Amino acid sequence: MEYWRSLEQLSGSAKVQEWVDTEFPGYDPEQLVSTSRRSFMKLMGASLALAGLMLTGCRRWPKEEVIPYASSPKDRVPGIPERYATVMELGGIGSGLLVSCFDGRPIKIEGNPDHPFAKTSPGLGAADAFAQASVLEMYDPERSRSPVDRSKGSDAKATWDNFTTALDALFPADGAGVAILSEATSSPSVLEMKKLLLKKLPQVKWYAYEPISCDNESAGAKLAFGKSLRPLLKLEKALVIVSLDADLLGIHPAHIRHAADWASGRRSSDEGRMSRMYVAESCFSITGTMADERLGLRPSRFNAIASALAAKLGVEGVVAGHLSADEAHFVEQAAGDLKANAGKGVIAVGSHLPAELHALAYAMNARIGSLGQTLEMLELPELDRPTHAESIAALTKDMTGGQVKTLLILGGNPVYDAPADLEFGKALGGVAGVHLSVYQNETSRACKWHLPRSHYLEAWGDARAFDGTVTVAQPMIEPLFGGKSVIELLALLADEKVSTGSAIVRRTAGAMLSGPDKDMAFRRALHDGLIAGTTAASSKGTPRSVALPPSVETTSFEIRFQPDASMLDGRFANSGWLQEMPDPLTKLTWDNAALFSKKDADGLGVSTGDMVRITADGRSLDIVAYILPGQPVGVIGLPLGYGRSAAGKVGNNLGFNTYKLRTTKAMFSAAAEIRKTGGTYKLAMTQDHHLMDAVGTAAIRQRVGEKGHSGEILREASFADYRANPQGALQGEHRSIHLPLFDPPARLDETHAWGMAIDMNSCIGCNACIVACQAENNIPVVGKEEVANSREMHWIRVDRYFKGTADDVNPEVIFQPMMCVHCENAPCEEVCPVAATVHDTEGLNTMVYNRCIGTRYCSNNCPYKVRTFNYFDYHSKSPRQKGAAPWLGMPDSQQKQSIDPIKQMLFNPDVTVRMRGVMEKCTYCVQRIHAVTINVRNEHAEGKRDNVHVNDGDIVTACQQTCPTQAIVFGDLNDPTARVTKLHRHPRAYSVLDEELATKPRTRHMAKLRNPVERVRATEAAAPEKEHNQ
Amino acid sequence: MFVVDPIQTKKKFVFPRWANYLLPLSVLAVLGGGFYLPVLMGFGLSPKTTDVGYMPEQPVPFSHAMHAGQLGMDCRYCHSTVERASFAALPSAQTCMNCHTSIKPQSTALVPIRESWKNGDPVEWIKVHDLPDHAYFNHSAHVNHGVGCVSCHGRIDQMDTVRQTQPLSMAWCLACHREPEKYLRPPDEITNMSWKPKGDALHLGLELKKNLEIQSPAYMTSCSTCHR
Repeated sequence: MEYWRSLEQLSGSAKVQEWVDTEFPGYDPEQLVSTSRRSFMKLMGASLALAGLMLTGCRRWPKEEVIPYASSPKDRVPGIPERYATVMELGGIGSGLLVSCFDGRPIKIEGNPDHPFAKTSPGLGAADAFAQASVLEMYDPERSRSPVDRSKGSDAKATWDNFTTALDALFPADGAGVAILSEATSSPSVLEMKKLLLKKLPQVKWYAYEPISCDNESAGAKLAFGKSLRPLLKLEKALVIVSLDADLLGIHPAHIRHAADWASGRRSSDEGRMSRMYVAESCFSITGTMADERLGLRPSRFNAIASALAAKLGVEGVVAGHLSADEAHFVEQAAGDLKANAGKGVIAVGSHLPAELHALAYAMNARIGSLGQTLEMLELPELDRPTHAESIAALTKDMTGGQVKTLLILGGNPVYDAPADLEFGKALGGVAGVHLSVYQNETSRACKWHLPRSHYLEAWGDARAFDGTVTVAQPMIEPLFGGKSVIELLALLADEKVSTGSAIVRRTAGAMLSGPDKDMAFRRALHDGLIAGTTAASSKGTPRSVALPPSVETTSFEIRFQPDASMLDGRFANSGWLQEMPDPLTKLTWDNAALFSKKDADGLGVSTGDMVRITADGRSLDIVAYILPGQPVGVIGLPLGYGRSAAGKVGNNLGFNTYKLRTTKAMFSAAAEIRKTGGTYKLAMTQDHHLMDAVGTAAIRQRVGEKGHSGEILREASFADYRANPQGALQGEHRSIHLPLFDPPARLDETHAWGMAIDMNSCIGCNACIVACQAENNIPVVGKEEVANSREMHWIRVDRYFKGTADDVNPEVIFQPMMCVHCENAPCEEVCPVAATVHDTEGLNTMVYNRCIGTRYCSNNCPYKVRTFNYFDYHSKSPRQKGAAPWLGMPDSQQKQSIDPIKQMLFNPDVTVRMRGVMEKCTYCVQRIHAVTINVRNEHAEGKRDNVHVNDGDIVTACQQTCPTQAIVFGDLNDPTARVTKLHRHPRAYSVLDEELATKPRTRHMAKLRNPVERVRATEAAAPEKEHNQ
Repeated sequence: MFVVDPIQTKKKFVFPRWANYLLPLSVLAVLGGGFYLPVLMGFGLSPKTTDVGYMPEQPVPFSHAMHAGQLGMDCRYCHSTVERASFAALPSAQTCMNCHTSIKPQSTALVPIRESWKNGDPVEWIKVHDLPDHAYFNHSAHVNHGVGCVSCHGRIDQMDTVRQTQPLSMAWCLACHREPEKYLRPPDEITNMSWKPKGDALHLGLELKKNLEIQSPAYMTSCSTCHR
């Protein structure tokens, strides 16, 4: 087997075979026999008769109201969405967004195409999965709805007026004994309000904490340059990228910019040049999967490898220590490539690695001439502050020491995510805590007062992007539950006259706006989503080199804390969309797990699903193990963000709280002992879902044989081979010939012929498309139990395949996004007994929900397994709710209850909300197609345009719009100049399973290219010989 | 799946005594069916089922016969978004008050409008022409392509209280989607309720169909044209 999804599949496990072959593994269909034929007929007859009586009755739809405005706002057209630019701040970095509001309800989030860190191509901006899912958070019925007063012991619902009355007691006139703990923030307005507050209450002490921070980057800059700076990578200019444990494409504040720039360096393969990425890492990240040369390392080895690389590059005063053969090989190759591409290489370092290592990397970058080229150092004044770990440690000390009487916590959740050795929760018990938060979380419950915070989509605010560009956040809707923003609360405390969010933000922005007409400039900034001219200056200094202490040799296991791809640091725990989004690599949903390499797991006798006890520095944690191919040997990956106890009904008690092991001394890695405890834990992962079964594989072999590449749904080549012979490297020898017996019943290309191209060379598996599709198309969340039954409803999935042997420490990974490929010759349509899935004249394979009777034949006959079925009314049930009355052991949760009215506000009104018993699948975002084509035809009828031609790029699907690497391209195949048409004819393009099944898909995939070192040298060496032979 | 009991099959089969009643029962069933079926068909095919004639009482006794008929106001003065959006927006209270500040400013019938205008609370009108939520009817696509208001809404200009005159069923929609030439009118006659084609109606229809680049019946009967 060349490609495989899981170790179990690779080893041919009987369990996987059963999973593939049977619909309900472990369930006995013979149970049905207990119903006799006679009683079955009786029941059916009775139901038919009843159905006839009930359904044909004179039934009127419920009475509906139409509610117009009392006075219509200018230019607002009901039913046409409006888009507003805003910003979402995460860990002190703002990402520029464009929010679609439908009749005043924000329902869909996109990246702002004008924002430097969201722009992917002209007119398109990307938003990551977190930003996409933030709109669900806003409509979460479990958000905090009112202030809560716990000062008398029990929870008492209070009002903002009650809190204002209590203010004097909590906050003395000069602020003595008052401390404020803030999340990381770059908001100019918050910093302004902080200044004003500290002026009024000079005794107040201000602290900041963020569990995942980039402090070491700027601390390293302070060592090297003498001042705190932020490194900004310019990957579009980089031909050689060396990452030392930096997850540039995954969890990084500038990952969208990185991904877009990196992808442009991969796509240039068509012009004969392709970037190469070296990744040395202590966890398997999506950046690692995209590496051309990858090295799995223990966290303790990074000093050694960085010193060796620096020595090789000729950085003065650095001595290389001892390296293993693999490490030496990696360093040699990387150094050679960097030297050969002076000024076009860059070295990036993971933000968690020590400051000295960052400083050395800056010196290396200066040495290879990348400073000012592929790496810029940005001057941001707010970087000059104590690190977050120092800050929270100092605060806890003050709290236990009695210096703090009142602690105001602005957002965040330190009781859950502060380093375990500080025992922050205990310290908080001794002071009067006031917590402003969107949810009543762990920290709120340990405070005397909880205050509801308005969501970022409900409030005025501002934030700086990664490069310092300021964006003003404008509210899309009135606060649903009457919350206050941070700046409004600070204004209340400081007793400021300017107390509304809008006025505070306007005042701060006023100082940054240029031009004579400030109001006009402010409106311009709101419209564009950024204040021009606020980008940070880039520093021109020269770094001095810093010698690193040698790596500490250790033979014990090392644990490595890593931000979770779905939960980040745990703040998104109550988001069903993110919980159900499969992790890019483990494909786990609803849980985290300790990640083991195969070698370590075999050594411990542990397999996926076994419980292990991890002990580090006297603290221990029981957690489930997961064997991840490619996990560095000796390193146990511990994703943060799970095991929340007060997240909400969706997020409570899922997974394991790895913060319990995280201490101030070991914020990212530590030595640990592991032992198997004997218990097991059920994980819901999607990696083996929708596998091709033995019958299918055999049939493919029968039809196309073993020749060439045909019969493989994945294709890839090395860049060198591809450059030498684009056709030969990718295409198989076999070509099936389409000889249709009948003409197609209707034209499939009338006016337009919609099609799509998916470039697996650019796809980084970041999952943003999955959440974007879920938000756009009203896709429900099914819950862990149902995911375990292979019933997840995502219309697009990103299949992750490994290549290599089971013991390979460095398996290659390929991501294949898969959704309905809109076969022209669709197998699903042939088997539907009620014609509920049929083609339209533009080639869309449409799904008619109202015709569907739920036989699921179509899904069985779909070779791509992209159809999903509503087994239950998932929208109205809680994903955590167990079935009320099990029938034949299957959880039935048909609800009497309807969908929560607050959640209903989130639905996209342009897409039908499907109910139980209905099949559904990707529609190519048919609602977006029609929104554009109807408009074009209207303008044509009104004489505003000459033809009904739709410009390429005017219609983008939800997945395409948010893809940071532009791996998905949609368009009209009738238009010869359209990008999709050109991509369909590209030498890398192929149709999955078309040669075997003659399905004629409208979506073509494009083969992946890798650019490893050996192959280049081999072919370069071989090339002159070839010429000689000729 | 259904297991046959081997012991039962060996026995000689004798009709049980109650089988004697089967004949009279089936006669009764036929008679009953004779009653049941017409009732079923009657309800099923009745215009009432599709709500033709539905005429709810509105919060304000607004008369289209007066405004659109006698006064000859254009439909688009109030339903201003009909050419741009899928939804033909209802007028805001402000639109009513454009005239009613000077015309009948004291009328008791207009109390809800004046209240709404003053305090900003919207008037809650009752929806008459209500399509199922999975049918995505788009007003702009129709009125820009020669489908008149009267085709779906009837003689609104003669109605004191708006009622539904057409079945608005899928078969009814498809009648036009299959043969648009029979229903088209020149775009400048869209809001004219009393327009009648002069001369050869079908010829005019075919010409309009060509000029307006109306899509083929195959496109217009595709599921995705109306259902998303």
